[in-house]
Amino acid sequence: MTGEPLTGPLTEPLTWGQRAIWAAIERTAPDDRYFNFGRVLAVPRSIRQLGVADVRRAVGLLTDRHQALRTTIGPGPVQIVGESAEPVVGIVHAARGEEAAVAAELQARMESSAFDYRDERPLRVGVVICEGTVGHVVLVFCHMAADGLGAEIAVRDLRLLLLLRGTAGGPPPTQPAELARRQNSAEGLRLARAADEYWEREFSRIPVSMFPAQVAEPSGPPIWRALLTSRAAAMAAQRLAVLHGATTGAVLLAASAAMVGRVTGQELCAMLPIVGNRFRADTRNAVTTLSQEGLFVCDVTAERFDDLLRAARPAALRAYRHAYHDPAGRAAATARASAARGAEVQPYCCFNDMRFAEPPPRDWEPGEIHAALGSSTLTWPISQDRLNCRFCVHITGEGAGLGISVTADTRYLPKAGMESWLRGLEDLLVEAAARAAARKVHAG
Amino acid sequence: MSTVGRRAPAGAARETKERLAELVATASDGEVSAAEALATELPLSALGVTSLAQMRLIDAIEREFGVDVDFSDESLAALEDLDLLTAHITGRAR
Repeated sequence: MTGEPLTGPLTEPLTWGQRAIWAAIERTAPDDRYFNFGRVLAVPRSIRQLGVADVRRAVGLLTDRHQALRTTIGPGPVQIVGESAEPVVGIVHAARGEEAAVAAELQARMESSAFDYRDERPLRVGVVICEGTVGHVVLVFCHMAADGLGAEIAVRDLRLLLLLRGTAGGPPPTQPAELARRQNSAEGLRLARAADEYWEREFSRIPVSMFPAQVAEPSGPPIWRALLTSRAAAMAAQRLAVLHGATTGAVLLAASAAMVGRVTGQELCAMLPIVGNRFRADTRNAVTTLSQEGLFVCDVTAERFDDLLRAARPAALRAYRHAYHDPAGRAAATARASAARGAEVQPYCCFNDMRFAEPPPRDWEPGEIHAALGSSTLTWPISQDRLNCRFCVHITGEGAGLGISVTADTRYLPKAGMESWLRGLEDLLVEAAARAAARKVHAG
Repeated sequence: MSTVGRRAPAGAARETKERLAELVATASDGEVSAAEALATELPLSALGVTSLAQMRLIDAIEREFGVDVDFSDESLAALEDLDLLTAHITGRAR
């Protein structure tokens, strides 16, 4: 040793988004592999020959560009940005025609163990080689490094790095260490305080829970998921979005809240949507984990869907704004509101739109939507013993249709109620789309 | 944002409104052009400014004009109308 280095590794507090995931990981350990997620990049056909060394080099450039992909978690917890390093790449071979299946199997294997948050880089890399060239690159992300949208950006950049054999183009987006500094600045603290006030104010007036009481004995495991796949719901949401100048996500959130109101009899509905928190210029393209719960509070007694959407829009804007919050401040605000009311306030009602992009706007005719109703299916894909919520809605894209699932604690909402909620949601969307008058407002 | 505190000169207000129209176009990824935003008498959401675009617009306004949007009903209603929005901003700019 010749002396201390002038600068050690860059160490910063966790960002708000990282703290939210870290809390979820701590609650879930040792089953925290649950939070790992992978992406498979099919190598573009225009790249004729790609070796493992090329992939290693491109992934090296990717992790140079995005600090999150070389950041580990130290005691505190804190984030520690590591130096650039040669990535480790797992290699498997596949016969022609079997590459995609082999890649999927490799992804599952790479996802199957929890990350070592302190000592392991948060990006695992594998390649599938077919006839002497890399055809698929498998990336598995630690959720502390990226959320779904962050991973999309990383995959897009890696594709460019492979294609251009050099640069991902443009200056790198804001890094998580920089975001942590901004969140701890005067501006960040002002945002956090406004969010704390919002959560406390709303937690003082919403029902203590949307599903407050056990109403049934469980039959078998208490937690069930019901999944509706519906082309008609997708088309109806698209039509309503076009006619009301909304996103399909906003339409589905409002409709979901209205249906919670119908099955519970509560007039004021509180839902916790998972919000991407990418509205700000400094978060939009960041590779990091930004998604946090928001609080959507809406009076759902409107009879007409356009009145419901009119009430839902400012409610959604407030939910989106204050989803970018300090989890510690929110916990304190929740505790204050609960103490004042003498009851734990927790909606136990969440909403997660997991689609990465809005479908293109399309003004389907009511007849077309109605005709698609026949192809809807309802299945019960999952049952389990435990869930830290009582009612969770997930939205996914299923081909040209929507997957709408409810994962619920059947002691609070029995299976018949789950099915009524899903069927009722589809009916509500289809009927509202049929009633919505076409409006010609767009000049071109 | 609260109600207008003081009146800005008419020329400055026009410039602010035109700049806001450009920010609407950027926030909506071009779904609504600046010219459409300036010409319309409809609420901006009726032209296709979604809540997602409104959130980006709020961020752009806060950064460019140095104001904090307070998310009151009144402020959120102003997001639908460039004249209201201009009045709010010219009354509040630091």
